[in-house]
Amino acid sequence: MYDMSEDKKIIQEFTSAEYKEGFVTDVEQEFIPKGLNEDIVRMISARKEEPEWLLEFRLDAFRKWQAMPQPDWAHLDMPPIDFQDIIYFAAPKKDKDRPKEIDPKLAETFDKLGIPLKERDVLAGVVAVDAVFDSVSVTTTFRKTLAEKGIIFCSFSEAVKEHPDLVRKYLATVVPSSDNYFAALNSAVFSDGSFCYIPKGVRCPMELSSYFRINARGTGQFERTLIVADEGSYVSYMEGCTAPMRDEQQLHAAVVEIIVEKDADVKYSTVQNWYPGDADGKGGILNLVTKRGICRGEGSHLSWTQVETGSAITWKYPSTILKGDYSSSEFYSVAVTNNHQQADTGTKMIHLGRGTKSRIVSKGISAGVSENSYRGLVRMGKGAVNARNYSQCDSLLIGSKCGAHTFPVIQSQQPTATVEHEATTSKISEDQLFYCNQRGIDPEDAVGLIVNGYAREVLSRLPMEFAVEAQKLLQVSLEGSVG
Amino acid sequence: MGHGHYIAPAKGQYQVAAGQVLELQFVVLPGESRDIEVTVDLCGPGAEAHLKGLYLCKADEKVNFRVVMHHKASGCHSTQLFNGIAGGSAEVNFDGTIVVAPDAQKTEAFQENHNIVLTETAKVNTKPQLEIYADDVKCSHGATVGQLNEDELFYMRSRGIPEAEARTLQMLSFLAPVIPEGREEEIERAVRSL
Repeated sequence: MYDMSEDKKIIQEFTSAEYKEGFVTDVEQEFIPKGLNEDIVRMISARKEEPEWLLEFRLDAFRKWQAMPQPDWAHLDMPPIDFQDIIYFAAPKKDKDRPKEIDPKLAETFDKLGIPLKERDVLAGVVAVDAVFDSVSVTTTFRKTLAEKGIIFCSFSEAVKEHPDLVRKYLATVVPSSDNYFAALNSAVFSDGSFCYIPKGVRCPMELSSYFRINARGTGQFERTLIVADEGSYVSYMEGCTAPMRDEQQLHAAVVEIIVEKDADVKYSTVQNWYPGDADGKGGILNLVTKRGICRGEGSHLSWTQVETGSAITWKYPSTILKGDYSSSEFYSVAVTNNHQQADTGTKMIHLGRGTKSRIVSKGISAGVSENSYRGLVRMGKGAVNARNYSQCDSLLIGSKCGAHTFPVIQSQQPTATVEHEATTSKISEDQLFYCNQRGIDPEDAVGLIVNGYAREVLSRLPMEFAVEAQKLLQVSLEGSVG
Repeated sequence: MGHGHYIAPAKGQYQVAAGQVLELQFVVLPGESRDIEVTVDLCGPGAEAHLKGLYLCKADEKVNFRVVMHHKASGCHSTQLFNGIAGGSAEVNFDGTIVVAPDAQKTEAFQENHNIVLTETAKVNTKPQLEIYADDVKCSHGATVGQLNEDELFYMRSRGIPEAEARTLQMLSFLAPVIPEGREEEIERAVRSL
């Protein structure tokens, strides 16, 4: 039906050329020595001029990490990680004459990525950005405008210096340092990230956003994000990420903690576009992330939306602990894997309070020789009277060499709680493709169209600025997968 | 191989050849703690397997199901339906996996597990899993954990059916698709004892 050589050409073009964020910024950087030991942990802490309690926290986490085995339960074929072969801190050098200004090269990098660092930019009117480059935050925009409303939005390092009580009060309350192997590692060596505090009754007037960029070779990125939404507040938070194209695999182990108080509402969106490796599975980012939120107060609400298209390996389970009575949470996810990518992702909904509600909608798309798994847990605790969960996990297979898997776990200890789980696996039907072809839409576009329709329910949950980007990404990630 | 009255042993490995049909039925009555482990390999093209399970718990029973349905050849068809009710301080674990091998195209595999929890002390864990390595497949699984529907109960009571009787009717209709032929009375007695 199709010309095979033409197909191959298309595949090659797209899988090699289309990762347009794969460039490297040539900027002078400072590194600490390679390797991981207590001295390195102390060095990171000293470099960031941290207080004693934070160093203790790091060292404690490091000792716990040393005693832990690397988990292998995920449906992933992961190469062993040599933790001694990673540089744990890399920062662009500051110009001594102009310490307050952003290095033009860095500004250019973020400009190229479409991230507005200048407040006068058009998009900047609706989004405040914290831009993280390797191990440090370059700048945070709109801090003043936000501060007028009492909102704190800054890099994690600044928060430690300027708001130590808040950081100390909330740090590691949702993801304790001993939570899991990679969370422990992050707690020991985390470098920068974003901190956000929305005071009582304040509705954040603009989208807050963190943008993570890995640049330096041989490094890992370990950022930490902490979001606190006080009573009755609202915030919509977005996260984006990219990295250069390299043959080596780079480690990204982040921790995100979200605390939602009474009647507060937090919306957390991610568009993950780390470098996925080349068509033969060489290189790419190992994205091993712990994200968890707690709906602490009555009537609180937390919503996760994620579009996962990048990374060689994704290991990520944004979760919610529904502790407050009548609190609710949602998880909407689209995960795309192509070529040799592997993803093991999903969510955990832990229902503790009365009348808590959760909804899970997960759409997996696998192409090439990739493996895509949904792994989820819904637990109804003894106190979860009249709690309700609905989960739907669909998988779409494109090509006969990929895999799609579903591993949901449902645990109920409450007779009045209701849990429903549904999963389906299917492929793009030939009828659908034929219908499009017949109307003059070529196979590539037809797949894009069908996939976008399939993922619509999730994409429509994204903030406007992200939704457009995400649709394009889906198209690009899958290009070259038909044939 | 299969007929309505056949109650399968608790542990079994079955290989189904091309064009053959396997039917298995499991029944766990109140007072029985059981570990049921079944592996079914659909080895030849067009093989079929249909599994049904029913379990009733009212005290401190522990009922574990571990079902692996392995689609190894193309054009095979499998269905699984496990419905059960947990009362008392019983613990039910259902762990079911469907594996579709890389060349098992045109597979149709369906699995359902539905649970009703009657008491605060009963525990139900269900873990339906799909591992799929072929693309031309229709696979789905569904799992629910819930309670008897209050609206249905109200409907029946408002028409003069006593509460206990209404509940029994609800439970029987919930179990109906998995009750083996000829054992209706026995199951009904067991349901009434819950």
